[in-house]
Amino acid sequence: MSLAVWRTEWLTASRRRRLLLFNVLIPLTFVATIAFSPAPAVHAAAVFTVLFALFGTFGSSIPLIRDGETGLLRRYVLTGAHPGGLLLQRVCATAALDLIELTPSVLVIAAARGGSTSQLAFLVPSMVLGLLAANALGALTAALAKSVAEGALFSAVAALLLLHWAGTFRTPVPGTWQATLEAWNPFRPLHESLLAAAGASGPDMGAALLTAPVGVTLVALLLLTAAGRFTIGLGGR
Amino acid sequence: MFGATELSFTYPSGRRGLRSVSVRADPGDRLVVMGPNGSGKSTLLRLVSTELPCSPGSLTLFGQASRPPSRALRRRIGIVQDTPIHVDDLTGMENGLLFAELYGLSREDSVGILESLFTSLGLEDALHVPAREYSYGMKKKLLIAQALAHDPEMLILDEPALGLDPPSRETLLRILEERSERGVCTLVATNEPALAQALATSVVLLHEGEVVVQGSPSELLARVGRATRIEVQVPTEPASLAAAGPALEGLPADILSIQHLPGRIVAESESGPDVLPQLVSAVLDAGLKIERIELREPDLTDVFTLFTGQAMGTTGQTRGTDTMGTDEENE
Repeated sequence: MSLAVWRTEWLTASRRRRLLLFNVLIPLTFVATIAFSPAPAVHAAAVFTVLFALFGTFGSSIPLIRDGETGLLRRYVLTGAHPGGLLLQRVCATAALDLIELTPSVLVIAAARGGSTSQLAFLVPSMVLGLLAANALGALTAALAKSVAEGALFSAVAALLLLHWAGTFRTPVPGTWQATLEAWNPFRPLHESLLAAAGASGPDMGAALLTAPVGVTLVALLLLTAAGRFTIGLGGR
Repeated sequence: MFGATELSFTYPSGRRGLRSVSVRADPGDRLVVMGPNGSGKSTLLRLVSTELPCSPGSLTLFGQASRPPSRALRRRIGIVQDTPIHVDDLTGMENGLLFAELYGLSREDSVGILESLFTSLGLEDALHVPAREYSYGMKKKLLIAQALAHDPEMLILDEPALGLDPPSRETLLRILEERSERGVCTLVATNEPALAQALATSVVLLHEGEVVVQGSPSELLARVGRATRIEVQVPTEPASLAAAGPALEGLPADILSIQHLPGRIVAESESGPDVLPQLVSAVLDAGLKIERIELREPDLTDVFTLFTGQAMGTTGQTRGTDTMGTDEENE
């Protein structure tokens, strides 16, 4: 299958330089303000996690809804291209772009809070995973929304609920059903790694923390691909 | 190539888009669908292109049932939709490459094909210009190039000439005729009688979602004769038009018939414009104000009027052309 949509996303992003700049500067300004403030690490990490998750979710759902409204997605599908493949290319491309745009913010967190190299190293796969999950979530909410406003609302609610179930807003209680949910949640490694980068002593950063969320994210992407024709196909909008 | 049997479609709002429409076309055919706005032209095209589900009714494409639409089947079709949609940040060539790749062509092959199509359509200077800077006509040409690049066996074109300048329309006609000679089946929706007559091997006239009549342009035009049409546009006041009826009855025998349509009186004259002074005089005597007079040869809109008693479209400078609007408005 051709990577035409993947390439188009990168080309489009490179042409929209003003937007690219804002996508770097706006989170950076926000993150720098908090990172260099005396905000406690748990609070700072929660804010960073919410910001990064919403950045991915909104950035995926709103352009998808807009392209659905203009009929561009319908045109893609009428070429005979696999709808799920198109969607997967889009989600991966926007997640990769988000990672690039958020990298300066992550570096500022590390610089401001004195994160170690190992913490930063763990942040990379956590960011990739979290942003992939956020972008997949955005694609799903886009399928349900009938307008950009609805998409923004659904994205915000869905992302915040998932963040809550990732333990972002509460103290972990091992052995409870919430702890089991957290272990599988793709936003948990993001939160834990940001917690560590923000200066809190979190649980051991290791592959074990990533295994279940990676599995969940891969399954979510596979389901999204399989259901592509319902997600961006011809009947939805 | 395709066959639609008893095809119907109802929009979610409850509006009937099509009612029991049966049409077919073979390789090399150029089937033109005409009708006023909302008659179901675009709906029929969207059904045949597999964009909308055809139920009730059945549709076969390339000898296969179109439900569920397979990806391989869609690759054999080229589509020009009524509204140009592109990735505005990409150049014309990049947009062309995007769709060529989605249709399964390699980038290497696509570049040459697209350059050739862009040149044919007069877009060669805009090859590397972002699509957002294209005019409406240029965007329409880009759509046409995208639809042709993968050399489809079937073309579905919704108002393809809308927004094109006269030389580009000629080029489009020539390209479509060339493709037709190579066996490509073409389905076109238009409101332009001149385009339909120049292009079609067969014409379907639609009215309120139903087929009014179908046949070759010459067969259909034979139904309305060869008498010159004199259209006198008058203010739309049904009472005054009705009152003018008796005053218009004593016209010369050269005037074969007089039709009273909303906003206009259409006379059929066997002697061309010779009867014009008497007709004008009679209309003025009937107390009507003349806004515009047009003489023309009979066309497919007259066939529509003959079968429905209604005018198909607007008259005047943009006679027969549609205005831009949403999908449903442009049906």
